[in-house]
Amino acid sequence: MLNIQINGVDVQVKHGTAIIDAAAESGIVIPRFCYHKKLSTVASCRMCLVEVEKMPKAMPACATPVAEGMKIHTKSPKALNAQRGVLEFLLINHPLDCPVCDQGGDCPLQEASLGFGGGVSHYDFDKRVLHNPDFGPLVATDMMRCILCTRCIRFSREIAGVDDISTAGRGENIRIASQTGHPLTSELSGNLIDLCPVGALTSKPARFTGRPWEYQHRSALGPHDSFGSHLQLDVRGTKVMRVVARECEEINETWLSDRDRFSYQGLYSADRLTTPRIREKGIWREVDWSTALEFVANGLQQVRKTHGAPALGALVAPTATLEESYLIQKLIRTAGSPHIDHRLRQRDFSDQAHDPVFPWLGGAITALEQKTAFLVVGSYLRKEHPLVNHRLRKAVLRGAHAMFLDAVDRAYNYPTSVSMVVPPSAWERSLLAVAKAAHAITGRAIPTGLDALWESIECEAIHRTTAEHLVNAASAVLLLGNVAHAHPRFGALRNLANAVAELTGASVGYLPEGAGTVGAWLTGCVPHRGPGGKTVTVGQDWHTMVTGGVKGLLILGAELERDCADPSAALKGLHQAAFVVSLSPWVSPAQEAYAHALLPIAPYAETSGTYLNLEGRWQSFQGVVAPLGETRPAWKVLRVLGNLMDLSGFDYFSSDQVLAEAREAIGEVTPNNAMPCVVPAAISSETPALERFGEVPPYAQDALVRRASALQATPDGRVPIAARMHSATLAGCGLIEGAQVSVRQGEGVVRLPIIVDDRVAKGCVFVPSASVETAALGPVVGGAVTVVAV
Amino acid sequence: MFDTIARYLKSLFLLELLGGLAVTGRYLFRHKLTIQYPEAHTPLSPRFRGLHALRRYPNGEERCIACKLCEAVCPALAITIESDQREDGTRRTTRYEIDLFKCIYCGACEESCPVDSIVETSAFEYTFERFGEHIMTKSDLLKHGDQYEQRIRADRAADARYR
Repeated sequence: MLNIQINGVDVQVKHGTAIIDAAAESGIVIPRFCYHKKLSTVASCRMCLVEVEKMPKAMPACATPVAEGMKIHTKSPKALNAQRGVLEFLLINHPLDCPVCDQGGDCPLQEASLGFGGGVSHYDFDKRVLHNPDFGPLVATDMMRCILCTRCIRFSREIAGVDDISTAGRGENIRIASQTGHPLTSELSGNLIDLCPVGALTSKPARFTGRPWEYQHRSALGPHDSFGSHLQLDVRGTKVMRVVARECEEINETWLSDRDRFSYQGLYSADRLTTPRIREKGIWREVDWSTALEFVANGLQQVRKTHGAPALGALVAPTATLEESYLIQKLIRTAGSPHIDHRLRQRDFSDQAHDPVFPWLGGAITALEQKTAFLVVGSYLRKEHPLVNHRLRKAVLRGAHAMFLDAVDRAYNYPTSVSMVVPPSAWERSLLAVAKAAHAITGRAIPTGLDALWESIECEAIHRTTAEHLVNAASAVLLLGNVAHAHPRFGALRNLANAVAELTGASVGYLPEGAGTVGAWLTGCVPHRGPGGKTVTVGQDWHTMVTGGVKGLLILGAELERDCADPSAALKGLHQAAFVVSLSPWVSPAQEAYAHALLPIAPYAETSGTYLNLEGRWQSFQGVVAPLGETRPAWKVLRVLGNLMDLSGFDYFSSDQVLAEAREAIGEVTPNNAMPCVVPAAISSETPALERFGEVPPYAQDALVRRASALQATPDGRVPIAARMHSATLAGCGLIEGAQVSVRQGEGVVRLPIIVDDRVAKGCVFVPSASVETAALGPVVGGAVTVVAV
Repeated sequence: MFDTIARYLKSLFLLELLGGLAVTGRYLFRHKLTIQYPEAHTPLSPRFRGLHALRRYPNGEERCIACKLCEAVCPALAITIESDQREDGTRRTTRYEIDLFKCIYCGACEESCPVDSIVETSAFEYTFERFGEHIMTKSDLLKHGDQYEQRIRADRAADARYR
């Protein structure tokens, strides 16, 4: 600790602290523009000049580390004079258009001018005029207002890991410009809006719609991935106007993914369901809640009477809150049916008996930064879990090895050590080869039966390198992503990952898909586990349910034509079910075709609830705006449904009561991914000439983000609905780029254009899933396809 | 005794009545202050704060840029504004309403306006026949602006020295 004096007050600060932070600790505000604690220090704006005794000139507080006995004056005439001069200088080219600027009222430059500025400018020449670069549909630019603090450039390079903006020109002509001339591609680009201290970069979706002083700031949680980012929803009246980041060092630091930041637009999409609807004799009509709920309760009771209680089932979207998950499983199980599932994008349940109580990351989020090697199996991590990727990027920049097993060679924002790009059917063989290579290095005990499996496997250099990195790492982790979960042999894949972990000393982590996934696991929204992982009568998985297992279905928050791993089978099954109830905030044409009742439930900003993130952290949130129209929170709907079906134990007055009961039912659960490695009897021998690979595009993950118009207009949102193939694969099929082909998978046929993409693994046909156009095809990952020119 | 005689004489010669009539007579020939409203009008100060108007630029473009300062400053919360980006990329109001029942005619909106868009005109003769008419919509206010532009400009010019 060093003893220094700030404004005459003695304080002790840590060695190496900058003056600006030391002052902040004593509650003294020093104005700043370019300094940001998460970015490198450049001291370019000079706004934080302070007087330090025995130093001839005023010093920039952000770039001057404290020293023993330093005497600092932040309010002395010398400091104030320096600050006033700098501010006048910064304002030379700044336009006086605060009334039309979205930053107005929330602007550090305005505040600094008021607090530290002079009020009169000596400059009466022409101001600089600049062209505004197009930064895409998320970030609006107004470069006339830029004060060249370069926070945006440093963010892009240091945090987002993309080099797409930089300064151009020199001297008076210096300006922020897009390097590529294309819109920003980063999945974190929205943070530029929070970072920009002036109105040069503002939110395009929220452009000109409100003023900061009108907003009430409310807390919420990221409703998409399982990261649990802290959001601040700015609310005016009954409408969410914008979303900004809320700081939480352990989770999202000060950042947000674009998906969490801009998805609020989907709350007000035109197809929002605001009144309950029922279908009688094929005709939809809007009814009041009591009619709708009675209709639903009667319909479900009818199914129960005709086909028996186990003919009921429920499917839960991974966006459901813990309370909703708990209530729906309680409803179904109390009604006498064991059929409940939320793993809608998973297809292989053969190994479900060995599932951990809840699949989790395997450690704290902050611990990801300390990893020295990681192997990601089946995930476009950067887009699926942007902030997990950000933490791992920090690890890579410290020297960790990033390794990927995927069917597409992805563009990551950090150097990758190994990228195994093979079709999904070869993933098992790849993992086996890594295990074999690891055994050759470590000589650890082979899990029973594994050596028989790897006998015929040849280890290539890439597998040996992977094994070496994992073995040599002080802390290594294998992460299973969304595509791995959708793999046709997920059970085997997971066990092989466990085997690799065992042989290399790494740990295994799961990347749960949605914000509610972990909650759904814990509350027993799976057919083989009750709340807290307790043993129950094993029910059917979602696939068996929809393909004829159950007659009466409750669907909570999912649009099955997009939100499952096998949409064609799901749609076929749903059309044959006797009674389908969809609880959904939105209505889609497919839902109107298969459902018999549509109940409008509140999405994330309009309901209270709890999400558990991928590190198992319990976080509750409140509804921040009144539910739109006749919409009601799902927990209330389920509660009344329970009462109307004469089930006991559905008398709740608040979601807190549900939470308390769920907590009690779950009990104390220790997360543990280290399950016994059950070596699969055989690995997949199927090697189709062409196989389907159909991950969910970044902004098609759930119903809310699919309706966020600005996100859909970004390059990540406009994923072309086409068959993408490697040029060698294409040549093998005798096809040419741009041709229309018919892609056949099982019974489904879809006509698509062809795009050549050498990043796709040879032998793979990349057809995106979660889209209505490709819903007719079968399972989204794996499975033979044929491509024929038309 | 003496008092009684004096009172008697006073009432005999109608002195108080004549005194009163003298006042009437004096004012009968004086300059008249009463204005025959509505045939005649009292003079108004250029700073008079009456009915609100939204002004336009000479080229017909509305002045208002939806900065919402008037809404923020309004002590009676009489102003409601919604804004959005217009097709040409400029910031404009999609809704601008003043509730004249709430308004206290303080003129703070006018003072806060950075583009001299919202003004209080010298018009004060208006009535509402139905409930709801007291809410001035954006088109009403722009209409007032067009209607009273001459007066508004003259008032502003007369007061320019003191602004």
